[in-house]
Amino acid sequence: MFQNRKEGFALALPAALFIGILFLLPVGILLSEAFQLDGGWSLQGYIDFISKPLNQTVFLRTLKLGFLVAAVSAVIGYASAFCIVNLDPKSRGRIFGMVVLPLMISPVARTYAWIVILGRTGIVNDAIIGLGLSDTPIRILFTETAVFLGLLQLFLPLMIISLVSSMENLPRDAISAARVLGANWLQVFTKIILPLTKEGLVMGGTLVFTGSLTAYITPAILGGAKVLMLETLLYQKVSVSNDYVSASIIATILIAMCFGTNLLLKRIATARE
Amino acid sequence: MTEKWTSRLILGLTLIFLIGPFLIIIIAGLSAGQSLAFPPDGISLKWYLKVFEIESFRDSFILSMALAIFGTLIALALGVPAAYALNRYEIPYAETIKTIVAAPIIVPGIIVGLALLRYLVLPIGLTVTLALFFAHTALVLPYAVRVVSSSMTNLRSDMEEAAVLLGCTRLSAFFKVVLPNIKGGVLAAFILGFVTSFNQVPVSLFLSGPGVRTLPIDMLAYMEITYDPSVAALSALLAFLSVGIVFLAEKFLGFSRYV
Amino acid sequence: MSSPYILLKDLTLAYGDMVAVPKLNFSCDKGELIALLGPSGCGKTTTMRSIAGLLAPQSGQIYIDGKDVTNVPANKREIGLMFQSYALFPHLSGFENVAFGLRIKKLPEAEIVEKTNKGLDTVGLLHLANRKPSEMSGGQQQRLALARSMVMEPKVLLLDEPLSNLDARLRLEMRAELQRVQRETGITMIFVTHDQSEALALADRIVLMKDGLIEQIGTPDELYNKPTSVFAADFLGFENIFEVSNNVIIGDAGKMSLDFKSESGHLAWRPSGVKIGQGKYKAVVKSVAFAGERREYVLDAEIGVIMADVSAQKKSYKIGESLAFDLPKSEAHFIEQAS
Repeated sequence: MFQNRKEGFALALPAALFIGILFLLPVGILLSEAFQLDGGWSLQGYIDFISKPLNQTVFLRTLKLGFLVAAVSAVIGYASAFCIVNLDPKSRGRIFGMVVLPLMISPVARTYAWIVILGRTGIVNDAIIGLGLSDTPIRILFTETAVFLGLLQLFLPLMIISLVSSMENLPRDAISAARVLGANWLQVFTKIILPLTKEGLVMGGTLVFTGSLTAYITPAILGGAKVLMLETLLYQKVSVSNDYVSASIIATILIAMCFGTNLLLKRIATARE
Repeated sequence: MTEKWTSRLILGLTLIFLIGPFLIIIIAGLSAGQSLAFPPDGISLKWYLKVFEIESFRDSFILSMALAIFGTLIALALGVPAAYALNRYEIPYAETIKTIVAAPIIVPGIIVGLALLRYLVLPIGLTVTLALFFAHTALVLPYAVRVVSSSMTNLRSDMEEAAVLLGCTRLSAFFKVVLPNIKGGVLAAFILGFVTSFNQVPVSLFLSGPGVRTLPIDMLAYMEITYDPSVAALSALLAFLSVGIVFLAEKFLGFSRYV
Repeated sequence: MSSPYILLKDLTLAYGDMVAVPKLNFSCDKGELIALLGPSGCGKTTTMRSIAGLLAPQSGQIYIDGKDVTNVPANKREIGLMFQSYALFPHLSGFENVAFGLRIKKLPEAEIVEKTNKGLDTVGLLHLANRKPSEMSGGQQQRLALARSMVMEPKVLLLDEPLSNLDARLRLEMRAELQRVQRETGITMIFVTHDQSEALALADRIVLMKDGLIEQIGTPDELYNKPTSVFAADFLGFENIFEVSNNVIIGDAGKMSLDFKSESGHLAWRPSGVKIGQGKYKAVVKSVAFAGERREYVLDAEIGVIMADVSAQKKSYKIGESLAFDLPKSEAHFIEQAS
């Protein structure tokens, strides 16, 4: 009854056409624009773009923050995921729900909270002045630290979820067995937990890293014009200077970085020891 | 014993980091003063009430709601048949179709918004609202296909054949036998799509025009003018809305099974 | 001469370019219970699906009750099919599962209730009418599936491996149930199975299939005692089959001269037909298994492996022991087919 290939194709086609025409086509044209200069194909746009110090700074900062957020979320993620997996089923569901919850809430709301915390009259500055550590409020908002914290809070749940689901398949006895054989916790982690949860780490790492690279709201609200990242730079190029070519170039770089990360980390995950 | 306390400490700190900020904005929105501060200068509901009086918030709320509801409905109308076909049939170019349908997850939203602005709105004269609608639908479509697919994998095709042999047409077999058994997945896809669309920012960044702004973009614009507690109050209200919907979905549907 | 109730004429069935069943011809009378028997991949399920209308034939015709139904869609063919997995509707109660087809027919509510209850009663499930299929046992689910097909009063009831999902005791029960339903309603049934004992026990006639072709059609008696091909003999339990030429039997490992006259072709013995302890042939016991009443031997003989099974009352042999055996003429079944 389901041998009619045309019938099946016809059912799947509208979705593919919708995305193909209204989504991929415009994006494709936009990307191809980055390779065109004076009517011909050229990489000159990229060379010009990369040669500007500001662009280099933004590019490196984006990479650095993405990497830092991924690394720190991996550390916190492992600790939290390990604790969650070892809870009894009831509190495990509850805690897991609380970890997932922030993902359902508007990133604007999630980022906005950090203004209250890190601003000149925020909680942190109140504490610093109250403790006599400084007479005047120190600037935390609009620094890389603020952006880092915002991104970490935004993407940490993704890392925890990935690690929890890969740890659920971890044979409980393996850890006990290693402990009995005299391994310390560091050895248990590097020799047993890490190899067995590699896939979860890679999956979480990809989500967090590419998420951080392409986040807009967090750098826009917490970094402002002082801490530009590629996304905010792209927005600036279009809205302030109407520079569509630079915008296309940044777009290409972003997409290349996302695809590159996806491929690279997938290869690492499937590589043999 | 120490292990148990270490575990509690780690989880406690993580949850404070993840959820604490929301508690702070909920309280900051309760301020009686004029500026955003924590702890607030006195307690009042005036900012929570003021949110409803700001006209642009009201308009953008309606736009965001409409985009989220209709965009997700259209995404389901396109996505359910696609998920069905990909599960049931050996169709030509299945992998290509899967890749195309998954693309909106990978392409950064800001690029999509820019591309639609440049090649659909500016040259062809498509209205910004329609462009927003297309973008949000495309954005939700991959989730619709994925969630509905996963609820369909356990459904055997011989059930439909049985229905046909009992007199159903193919179409009525789908509605009488398939749909009732995947309705949980379809509803879960709707909720996930709704929340994704409603909270979406980067796609909508460039797609705004006079009087046409989604709510998150409107909030960003408002924040550029003033840091008064109304945005905190609105953020808190939106958080309650999302959490409420997801909570109800989990309670009545077991939402997390499908996602 | 009355025309047959079901007639398959030059039926060719294919999946894409792969022909599963080439030019099948078969007919049966009203009220017959037919078994389509064969190993997996022989085309029996494909044939059944095309009778149901779930698979359009590449060429050929299907006639039911004198009418060409080849182009009648499955939902208008009035044929019942009991799926191997039962294919019950998990979101509906037992009652609604059985009533499903009647509702599609838009019968009056009172008639639906009456027919459904009667159908449930016939299979002894009336007390479980409000349960969902998931709350029923395997045997109950199968009887529910049977009732769901039967209330539609189909012209033909097709059954896909009807006994394979049941344990030994339920299998006997279901077999009796199917025979009772068939006797009481006089419905024409065609069932698919890979299990020769099921086919022998249930069917009026057996259609043995191999590689999409009919190998032999006959009553259980005919198939069991007079298989016409090496394949049929092998499938029906003649485990010792040898080529015969000039009164010499030729096995995988060697040749032995036959002590009776035979035409050239094949000779076959069931394991129970092999005599052990006396005879002109020698063999070594390769393995022996005790099976209650009988003892099953695998013997290593000059011509190759011989399967023998003898009463457990008789003298037993150990692995490695030498013994004499015989392939008696009285137990030999001759097959004309050459190699």
